Amino acid sequence: MRPFTLNYIRPASHPTAVPPYRFDDSLQLNVLPDGRPAVSDPELLLAVGTTASTAGSKTHFDD
Amino acid sequence: MTVLILTSKDDVTADMVVTRLHDAAVPVMRLDPADLPVNTLLSARYAHGDFEGLLSANGHVVSMGGLRSVWVRRPGEPAAHADEPSAWLTAETRQALFGMLYSASARWMNHPREAERARLKPWQLRTAHLTGFAVPPTVVTTVPRLARQFAEEYGEVVVKSASGPPPGEPPMALPTTLIGPDSDFSGVAAGPALLQRYVPKRADIRLTCVGGRLFAARKEADPDQVDGRYGDTGHTWEPAEVPDRIRKSVHDYVDMAGLAYAAFDFAEDEDGFWWFLECNQSGQFGFVELETGQPISEAVAQWLSRPARG
Repeated sequence: MRPFTLNYIRPASHPTAVPPYRFDDSLQLNVLPDGRPAVSDPELLLAVGTTASTAGSKTHFDD
Repeated sequence: MTVLILTSKDDVTADMVVTRLHDAAVPVMRLDPADLPVNTLLSARYAHGDFEGLLSANGHVVSMGGLRSVWVRRPGEPAAHADEPSAWLTAETRQALFGMLYSASARWMNHPREAERARLKPWQLRTAHLTGFAVPPTVVTTVPRLARQFAEEYGEVVVKSASGPPPGEPPMALPTTLIGPDSDFSGVAAGPALLQRYVPKRADIRLTCVGGRLFAARKEADPDQVDGRYGDTGHTWEPAEVPDRIRKSVHDYVDMAGLAYAAFDFAEDEDGFWWFLECNQSGQFGFVELETGQPISEAVAQWLSRPARG
Protein backbone atom coordinates (compact mmCIF):
# COMPACT_ATOMS: atom_id res chain seq x y z
CA MET A 1 0.00 0.00 0.00
CA ARG A 2 1.24 3.50 -0.82
CA PRO A 3 1.94 5.70 2.23
CA PHE A 4 -0.73 8.38 2.49
CA THR A 5 1.69 11.31 2.31
CA LEU A 6 3.12 10.08 -0.99
CA ASN A 7 -0.28 10.59 -2.63
CA TYR A 8 0.74 14.25 -2.86
CA ILE A 9 4.15 13.85 -4.44
CA ARG A 10 4.93 15.40 -7.81
CA PRO A 11 7.94 16.05 -10.01
CA ALA A 12 10.14 18.85 -8.77
CA SER A 13 10.29 21.90 -10.95
CA HIS A 14 13.90 22.77 -10.27
CA PRO A 15 15.63 24.50 -13.14
CA THR A 16 17.49 21.97 -15.21
CA ALA A 17 20.02 24.48 -16.49
CA VAL A 18 23.53 24.04 -15.17
CA PRO A 19 24.49 27.04 -12.98
CA PRO A 20 27.06 29.15 -14.85
CA TYR A 21 29.73 28.90 -12.16
CA ARG A 22 32.29 26.39 -10.98
CA PHE A 23 34.08 25.78 -7.72
CA ASP A 24 37.56 27.26 -7.43
CA ASP A 25 39.67 25.22 -4.99
CA SER A 26 42.09 28.00 -4.16
CA LEU A 27 39.42 30.63 -3.47
CA GLN A 28 37.06 28.03 -1.96
CA LEU A 29 34.30 29.87 -3.81
CA ASN A 30 32.22 29.36 -6.92
CA VAL A 31 33.37 31.64 -9.71
CA LEU A 32 31.79 32.84 -12.94
CA PRO A 33 33.45 32.27 -16.34
CA ASP A 34 35.04 35.74 -16.12
CA GLY A 35 36.62 34.86 -12.76
CA ARG A 36 34.33 36.93 -10.54
CA PRO A 37 32.86 35.21 -7.48
CA ALA A 38 29.32 34.00 -8.18
CA VAL A 39 28.09 35.88 -5.10
CA SER A 40 29.04 39.15 -6.80
CA ASP A 41 26.02 38.66 -9.06
CA PRO A 42 22.95 38.43 -6.79
CA GLU A 43 20.55 38.74 -9.73
CA LEU A 44 22.05 35.63 -11.26
CA LEU A 45 21.85 33.69 -7.97
CA LEU A 46 18.18 34.56 -7.63
CA ALA A 47 17.56 33.58 -11.24
CA VAL A 48 19.17 30.13 -10.97
CA GLY A 49 17.37 29.43 -7.70
CA THR A 50 20.30 27.78 -5.94
CA THR A 51 19.77 29.78 -2.77
CA ALA A 52 16.02 29.11 -2.62
CA SER A 53 14.31 27.24 0.19
CA THR A 54 13.63 24.32 -2.14
CA ALA A 55 17.28 24.03 -3.21
CA GLY A 56 18.41 21.55 -0.57
CA SER A 57 21.00 19.02 -1.59
CA LYS A 58 20.28 15.35 -2.12
CA THR A 59 21.48 14.62 1.39
CA HIS A 60 19.61 17.40 3.18
CA PHE A 61 16.00 18.11 3.83
CA ASP A 62 16.46 21.33 5.80
CA ASP A 63 14.70 24.02 3.85
CA MET B 1 42.40 29.92 14.27
CA THR B 2 40.42 28.48 11.38
CA VAL B 3 36.72 28.26 10.61
CA LEU B 4 35.77 24.89 9.12
CA ILE B 5 32.75 24.79 6.82
CA LEU B 6 31.29 21.39 6.02
CA THR B 7 29.34 21.73 2.81
CA SER B 8 29.11 20.73 -0.83
CA LYS B 9 31.05 22.63 -3.46
CA ASP B 10 27.95 23.90 -5.23
CA ASP B 11 26.60 25.57 -2.08
CA VAL B 12 26.68 29.22 -3.10
CA THR B 13 24.93 30.27 0.10
CA ALA B 14 28.10 29.13 1.90
CA ASP B 15 30.02 31.30 -0.57
CA MET B 16 28.28 34.34 0.92
CA VAL B 17 29.82 33.52 4.31
CA VAL B 18 33.22 32.50 2.91
CA THR B 19 33.44 35.91 1.24
CA ARG B 20 32.71 37.65 4.55
CA LEU B 21 35.39 35.57 6.28
CA HIS B 22 37.90 36.39 3.54
CA ASP B 23 37.09 40.10 3.96
CA ALA B 24 37.72 39.80 7.70
CA ALA B 25 40.99 37.89 7.10
CA VAL B 26 39.67 34.92 9.09
CA PRO B 27 41.25 31.64 7.94
CA VAL B 28 38.66 29.27 6.54
CA MET B 29 38.66 25.71 5.25
CA ARG B 30 35.77 24.43 3.20
CA LEU B 31 35.37 20.68 3.10
CA ASP B 32 32.79 18.27 1.78
CA PRO B 33 32.88 15.00 3.77
CA ALA B 34 31.85 13.32 0.51
CA ASP B 35 35.37 14.04 -0.78
CA LEU B 36 37.03 11.94 1.94
CA PRO B 37 39.31 10.10 1.52
CA VAL B 38 40.04 10.74 -2.17
CA ASN B 39 40.54 14.50 -2.34
CA THR B 40 40.71 15.25 1.37
CA LEU B 41 43.17 13.96 3.94
CA LEU B 42 42.47 13.24 7.59
CA SER B 43 44.71 12.05 10.38
CA ALA B 44 44.18 11.98 14.14
CA ARG B 45 46.49 10.56 16.78
CA TYR B 46 45.36 9.60 20.26
CA ALA B 47 48.41 8.64 22.29
CA HIS B 48 50.06 9.31 25.65
CA GLY B 49 46.95 10.96 26.98
CA ASP B 50 46.99 13.56 24.24
CA PHE B 51 45.11 14.17 21.01
CA GLU B 52 46.15 15.83 17.79
CA GLY B 53 44.55 15.81 14.39
CA LEU B 54 44.54 17.55 11.06
CA LEU B 55 42.52 17.92 7.90
CA SER B 56 43.77 18.90 4.46
CA ALA B 57 41.54 19.94 1.58
CA ASN B 58 41.75 22.33 -1.37
CA GLY B 59 45.40 22.96 -0.55
CA HIS B 60 44.49 24.15 2.94
CA VAL B 61 45.45 22.45 6.20
CA VAL B 62 43.91 22.84 9.64
CA SER B 63 44.98 21.23 12.89
CA MET B 64 42.41 20.44 15.54
CA GLY B 65 44.28 22.69 17.95
CA GLY B 66 43.79 25.55 15.51
CA LEU B 67 40.11 24.97 14.92
CA ARG B 68 37.95 27.95 15.86
CA SER B 69 34.47 26.81 14.84
CA VAL B 70 32.61 24.34 12.62
CA TRP B 71 29.65 25.31 10.44
CA VAL B 72 27.62 22.33 9.27
CA ARG B 73 25.86 23.66 6.19
CA ARG B 74 25.08 21.17 3.39
CA PRO B 75 27.69 18.40 3.74
CA GLY B 76 27.54 15.34 1.54
CA GLU B 77 27.53 11.86 2.99
CA PRO B 78 31.07 10.95 4.09
CA ALA B 79 33.03 9.16 1.33
CA ALA B 80 30.12 9.44 -1.13
CA HIS B 81 32.59 10.45 -3.87
CA ALA B 82 34.99 7.58 -3.18
CA ASP B 83 36.08 5.34 -6.03
CA GLU B 84 34.17 2.46 -4.48
CA PRO B 85 31.56 4.02 -2.18
CA SER B 86 29.72 1.81 0.26
CA ALA B 87 27.62 2.09 3.41
CA TRP B 88 30.54 0.62 5.34
CA LEU B 89 33.03 3.17 4.00
CA THR B 90 30.61 5.97 4.81
CA ALA B 91 30.22 4.70 8.37
CA GLU B 92 33.97 4.34 8.85
CA THR B 93 34.65 7.78 7.42
CA ARG B 94 31.91 9.35 9.57
CA GLN B 95 33.54 7.81 12.65
CA ALA B 96 36.97 9.14 11.70
CA LEU B 97 35.85 12.66 10.76
CA PHE B 98 33.25 13.42 13.39
CA GLY B 99 35.09 11.53 16.11
CA MET B 100 38.05 13.80 15.48
CA LEU B 101 35.99 17.00 15.23
CA TYR B 102 34.04 16.20 18.40
CA SER B 103 37.39 15.76 20.17
CA ALA B 104 38.37 19.35 19.39
CA SER B 105 37.12 22.28 21.45
CA ALA B 106 35.58 24.19 18.57
CA ARG B 107 32.20 25.92 18.67
CA TRP B 108 29.51 24.41 16.43
CA MET B 109 26.79 25.86 14.26
CA ASN B 110 25.01 23.51 14.84
CA HIS B 111 26.39 20.57 16.73
CA PRO B 112 25.20 17.39 14.95
CA ARG B 113 23.91 16.00 18.22
CA GLU B 114 21.51 18.92 18.65
CA ALA B 115 20.84 19.10 14.92
CA GLU B 116 19.62 15.52 14.76
CA ARG B 117 17.03 16.13 17.45
CA ALA B 118 16.06 19.53 16.09
CA ARG B 119 15.19 18.00 12.71
CA LEU B 120 12.38 15.94 14.26
CA LYS B 121 9.22 17.82 13.40
CA PRO B 122 7.07 16.33 16.19
CA TRP B 123 9.76 17.36 18.69
CA GLN B 124 9.71 20.84 17.16
CA LEU B 125 6.00 21.12 17.85
CA ARG B 126 6.41 20.13 21.48
CA THR B 127 9.32 22.51 21.96
CA ALA B 128 7.32 25.27 20.31
CA HIS B 129 4.48 24.61 22.77
CA LEU B 130 6.86 24.77 25.71
CA THR B 131 8.41 28.03 24.56
CA GLY B 132 5.15 29.87 24.08
CA PHE B 133 4.51 29.77 20.36
CA ALA B 134 1.01 29.30 18.96
CA VAL B 135 1.03 25.93 17.18
CA PRO B 136 -1.79 24.65 14.97
CA PRO B 137 -3.27 21.38 16.26
CA THR B 138 -1.36 18.49 14.71
CA VAL B 139 -1.54 14.71 14.63
CA VAL B 140 1.14 12.22 13.60
CA THR B 141 -0.38 8.79 13.22
CA THR B 142 -0.37 5.42 11.50
CA VAL B 143 -4.05 4.88 12.33
CA PRO B 144 -6.40 5.77 9.42
CA ARG B 145 -9.39 6.17 11.72
CA LEU B 146 -7.59 8.75 13.86
CA ALA B 147 -6.42 10.64 10.79
CA ARG B 148 -10.00 10.80 9.51
CA GLN B 149 -11.28 11.90 12.93
CA PHE B 150 -8.71 14.69 13.01
CA ALA B 151 -9.73 15.89 9.55
CA GLU B 152 -13.42 15.77 10.50
CA GLU B 153 -12.73 17.74 13.68
CA TYR B 154 -10.93 20.59 11.92
CA GLY B 155 -12.57 20.45 8.49
CA GLU B 156 -9.60 21.56 6.42
CA VAL B 157 -6.20 20.15 7.27
CA VAL B 158 -2.83 20.00 5.55
CA VAL B 159 -0.68 16.94 5.06
CA LYS B 160 3.06 17.45 5.09
CA SER B 161 6.11 15.27 5.06
CA ALA B 162 8.24 15.29 8.19
CA SER B 163 11.44 14.43 6.36
CA GLY B 164 10.98 15.92 2.89
CA PRO B 165 10.48 14.16 -0.43
CA PRO B 166 12.04 10.75 -1.05
CA PRO B 167 15.56 11.01 -2.45
CA GLY B 168 16.40 9.78 -5.93
CA GLU B 169 16.13 10.67 -9.56
CA PRO B 170 14.24 12.36 -11.01
CA PRO B 171 13.94 14.85 -8.11
CA MET B 172 10.49 14.99 -6.58
CA ALA B 173 8.62 17.59 -4.54
CA LEU B 174 6.24 16.96 -1.67
CA PRO B 175 4.53 20.27 -0.96
CA THR B 176 2.29 20.82 2.02
CA THR B 177 -1.15 20.04 0.62
CA LEU B 178 -4.66 20.96 1.72
CA ILE B 179 -7.03 18.01 2.11
CA GLY B 180 -10.52 17.45 3.44
CA PRO B 181 -12.18 14.81 5.61
CA ASP B 182 -13.47 13.02 2.52
CA SER B 183 -9.94 11.89 1.59
CA ASP B 184 -9.10 8.19 1.46
CA PHE B 185 -7.02 7.74 4.62
CA SER B 186 -6.32 4.01 4.19
CA GLY B 187 -2.70 4.76 3.16
CA VAL B 188 -2.01 6.17 6.64
CA ALA B 189 -1.53 2.54 7.74
CA ALA B 190 1.38 2.24 5.29
CA GLY B 191 3.42 5.08 6.78
CA PRO B 192 3.13 7.76 9.48
CA ALA B 193 1.17 10.79 8.30
CA LEU B 194 1.48 14.30 9.72
CA LEU B 195 -1.77 16.25 9.53
CA GLN B 196 -2.15 19.81 10.79
CA ARG B 197 -5.06 22.21 11.03
CA TYR B 198 -4.95 24.53 8.04
CA VAL B 199 -4.14 28.14 8.89
CA PRO B 200 -5.48 30.50 6.21
CA LYS B 201 -2.66 32.99 5.88
CA ARG B 202 -2.06 36.36 4.42
CA ALA B 203 1.72 36.02 4.53
CA ASP B 204 4.61 33.64 5.10
CA ILE B 205 7.21 34.63 7.67
CA ARG B 206 10.79 33.35 7.64
CA LEU B 207 12.67 34.30 10.79
CA THR B 208 16.38 33.50 10.85
CA CYS B 209 18.12 33.38 14.22
CA VAL B 210 21.93 33.61 14.21
CA GLY B 211 23.47 33.38 17.64
CA GLY B 212 20.57 35.31 19.12
CA ARG B 213 20.34 37.93 16.35
CA LEU B 214 16.95 37.84 14.63
CA PHE B 215 16.18 38.59 10.99
CA ALA B 216 12.51 38.35 10.05
CA ALA B 217 11.21 38.50 6.51
CA ARG B 218 7.64 38.54 5.24
CA LYS B 219 6.17 37.54 1.91
CA GLU B 220 2.54 38.07 1.05
CA ALA B 221 0.68 34.91 0.14
CA ASP B 222 -1.98 34.48 -2.48
CA PRO B 223 -5.41 33.72 -1.00
CA ASP B 224 -5.32 30.01 -1.83
CA GLN B 225 -1.60 29.42 -1.49
CA VAL B 226 -0.86 26.63 0.99
CA ASP B 227 2.90 26.07 0.71
CA GLY B 228 4.86 29.31 0.39
CA ARG B 229 7.82 27.50 -1.17
CA TYR B 230 5.92 26.66 -4.31
CA GLY B 231 4.27 28.84 -6.90
CA ASP B 232 5.35 32.28 -8.09
CA THR B 233 2.96 34.79 -6.54
CA GLY B 234 4.81 37.84 -7.81
CA HIS B 235 5.46 38.94 -4.23
CA THR B 236 8.95 39.30 -2.80
CA TRP B 237 10.44 38.90 0.67
CA GLU B 238 10.50 42.11 2.69
CA PRO B 239 12.08 42.81 6.10
CA ALA B 240 9.61 42.51 8.97
CA GLU B 241 9.47 43.57 12.61
CA VAL B 242 9.59 40.79 15.18
CA PRO B 243 6.82 41.01 17.79
CA ASP B 244 8.18 41.01 21.36
CA ARG B 245 6.24 37.84 22.19
CA ILE B 246 7.83 36.03 19.25
CA ARG B 247 11.29 37.35 20.08
CA LYS B 248 11.17 35.85 23.56
CA SER B 249 9.85 32.50 22.31
CA VAL B 250 12.56 32.29 19.64
CA HIS B 251 15.29 32.84 22.20
CA ASP B 252 13.76 30.28 24.54
CA TYR B 253 13.40 27.77 21.68
CA VAL B 254 17.02 27.99 20.47
CA ASP B 255 18.25 27.82 24.07
CA MET B 256 16.18 24.70 24.72
CA ALA B 257 17.25 23.16 21.42
CA GLY B 258 20.91 24.10 21.80
CA LEU B 259 21.00 25.73 18.38
CA ALA B 260 23.34 28.51 17.24
CA TYR B 261 21.41 28.85 13.97
CA ALA B 262 17.75 28.27 13.22
CA ALA B 263 15.28 29.31 10.54
CA PHE B 264 11.67 29.49 11.71
CA ASP B 265 8.64 29.38 9.45
CA PHE B 266 5.40 31.02 10.53
CA ALA B 267 2.03 31.56 8.92
CA GLU B 268 0.65 35.07 9.48
CA ASP B 269 -3.11 34.80 9.71
CA GLU B 270 -5.74 37.36 8.75
CA ASP B 271 -5.40 39.05 12.16
CA GLY B 272 -1.63 39.38 11.82
CA PHE B 273 -1.00 36.57 14.31
CA TRP B 274 2.06 34.37 13.75
CA TRP B 275 1.53 30.59 13.91
CA PHE B 276 4.57 28.36 14.33
CA LEU B 277 4.93 25.90 11.47
CA GLU B 278 8.45 24.55 11.80
CA CYS B 279 12.04 25.34 12.65
CA ASN B 280 14.75 24.28 10.19
CA GLN B 281 18.04 23.96 12.01
CA SER B 282 19.97 24.50 8.75
CA GLY B 283 17.34 26.38 6.79
CA GLN B 284 18.31 28.34 3.71
CA PHE B 285 18.94 32.05 4.17
CA GLY B 286 20.47 32.96 0.80
CA PHE B 287 17.20 33.87 -0.85
CA VAL B 288 16.18 36.01 2.12
CA GLU B 289 19.42 37.97 2.17
CA LEU B 290 19.42 38.46 -1.59
CA GLU B 291 15.85 39.80 -1.59
CA THR B 292 15.80 41.80 1.66
CA GLY B 293 19.42 42.88 2.02
CA GLN B 294 19.42 41.65 5.62
CA PRO B 295 23.05 40.91 6.64
CA ILE B 296 22.52 37.28 7.61
CA SER B 297 25.75 35.97 6.07
CA GLU B 298 27.65 38.66 7.95
CA ALA B 299 26.01 37.56 11.21
CA VAL B 300 26.94 33.93 10.50
CA ALA B 301 30.53 34.92 9.70
CA GLN B 302 30.78 37.00 12.86
CA TRP B 303 29.47 34.14 15.01
CA LEU B 304 31.91 31.70 13.42
CA SER B 305 34.79 34.14 13.89
CA ARG B 306 34.46 34.37 17.64
CA PRO B 307 37.19 32.54 19.60
CA ALA B 308 36.95 28.82 20.22
CA ARG B 309 36.01 27.53 23.64
CA GLY B 310 38.95 27.27 25.98
